[in-house]
Amino acid sequence: MNESLIFYQEPKLEKPDLVAAWPGIGNIGIIALSTLREALEAELFAEIEPWRFFYPHALSIKDGELESLRFPESKFYFKRTGTKDLLLFIGGEQPSEVMKGYEMTNLVLEVALNLGCQRVYTAAAAVAPIHHTLRPRVWAVPNRQELVAETRRYRNTILMGDIEGRGGQGTITGLNGLLLGLAKARDLPGICLLGEIPVYISQFPVPYPKASKSILEVLTDNLGLTVDLSSLDEQAQEVERNIERFYHLIPEEIRERIDQLKHVSYIKEEKPGAITEEDKKKIMQEVEEFFKKRGKQD
Amino acid sequence: MSEGHGFKIYGTPRLQNPCLIVGWSQDVGGLGPKVLDFLIRKLQPQEFAQFNPAGFFSLAGVPVEDNVIQFPQSKFYASEEKDLLLFQSDGPSQTHYEFLMLILDIAEQICKVKEFYTIGGIISLMAHTSPRRVSAVVNQPLLKKPLSEYGVSINLEYQTPLGARPTLSSFLLWVAQRRNIAGANLWTEIPFYLAALEDPRAYKQVLSVLDQRLNLGIDFAELEQEIEKQNRQIAELKEQEGDVHRYITMLERGIMLSEKESEVLANKVAEFLQKRD
Repeated sequence: MNESLIFYQEPKLEKPDLVAAWPGIGNIGIIALSTLREALEAELFAEIEPWRFFYPHALSIKDGELESLRFPESKFYFKRTGTKDLLLFIGGEQPSEVMKGYEMTNLVLEVALNLGCQRVYTAAAAVAPIHHTLRPRVWAVPNRQELVAETRRYRNTILMGDIEGRGGQGTITGLNGLLLGLAKARDLPGICLLGEIPVYISQFPVPYPKASKSILEVLTDNLGLTVDLSSLDEQAQEVERNIERFYHLIPEEIRERIDQLKHVSYIKEEKPGAITEEDKKKIMQEVEEFFKKRGKQD
Repeated sequence: MSEGHGFKIYGTPRLQNPCLIVGWSQDVGGLGPKVLDFLIRKLQPQEFAQFNPAGFFSLAGVPVEDNVIQFPQSKFYASEEKDLLLFQSDGPSQTHYEFLMLILDIAEQICKVKEFYTIGGIISLMAHTSPRRVSAVVNQPLLKKPLSEYGVSINLEYQTPLGARPTLSSFLLWVAQRRNIAGANLWTEIPFYLAALEDPRAYKQVLSVLDQRLNLGIDFAELEQEIEKQNRQIAELKEQEGDVHRYITMLERGIMLSEKESEVLANKVAEFLQKRD
């Protein structure tokens, strides 16, 4: 095993699935995994030594002596559930160097494969032209063709290929995508679950737990788990109250344009809504310009 | 010459039980580079190793400073006479841990270093006429007593504030602690209005600590002249500019300046001293 791995125990698991996340927009994946870890009371069993991957983020000096240096944590947890054994990986930060990210992702896979992992899920954000009062959907992206049909059956979920104008193309940036690419290279099936976040929220460093909930609904269905997600509802309400406060500071004409996103559809199969593709582009352009200007003022 | 992953060695200094002094090129008041330049000039050590920049620095282009192209450098010097090792370097932009490990690999495995000091400036809301305090952060308690004997403050308490991150020197201190190499970060106060300029009084203060600790036999006459010259120039400015006089007097009396007053003072001192140079 790689020397950057520290094991606290070696769990015996039966064909576990791995669910992994690193921080990203709206912290959607991390919130989803942290909620799942807490709800399942998953146990810590390993972590990746951080110093080769990260610059330290905090220092403590006591009475003139270096007491500690703290780094982002990258930890593995496990849980034997009645239905499915689970591995969870929660990354505190994505390494800023591409090769370090590649190395870390390989380490995560190495641990999972050594424990007999059968499938990988990652959780992240999908920036979408939606309104914050709507229930976010989940964009699913499997790493092999055989999973496409299965993915289409998930609730409240759309495939990248079903999004208007994308033609099945897209990019999943960062390690949440890379892990599935490397899993594919090792013939390990995997699916990336991306919770929708409104485009105008995605530019701010605010969490978006509503999307984390959407991801967890899909994930727990798949894993056959029953998990109480009410804590996410509370977090989502709090965030929404803050968004609403901010929302009412936006000039009315911009707010009206954003409100039109309540009726926007970008799914191919759905009947055309009241808003045309041209309207949608115009709305997004205006909204983006407003926030760019505001960003400069701030 | 031997060449390893990330470095080249082109000399074999004969050292007994050397200490290492580390200075980074980018530092408040130019403290790190000025102190290292001074030691290199005065002690005439032999340059014997350097790091290859690839892998540690972004080589996507080169920065230009004061109309001149810059290129990252990381060099080791050794003074056999003083049994001293110096490392002068730009701070790496990537693979920081490997970079710091390599410094210690060369220092410990090739030169048998068991003790090291890093040099760094910290901005202080003080007047330039006040004595500069040097504070040490150690990675082994055994260094506290000897340093305190040279007037170094050894009781610093600190937590990284939100949004800030530890310095490279702190990271090096931590890496060395894990390898059981004793070291100290020496932080020297620099008045905020000299932070972007030079502060010979701070250079002298930290050099005096190193001189006593490592028996370097430094002649401080040159630095004393620089201090005197800077004091004279600022005194001249105080006579010309009433607000500069007032603000420095306030600092001398321990009265805090407002943000605006601090900015005016820093700008006027910078403009005046740069013109004189």
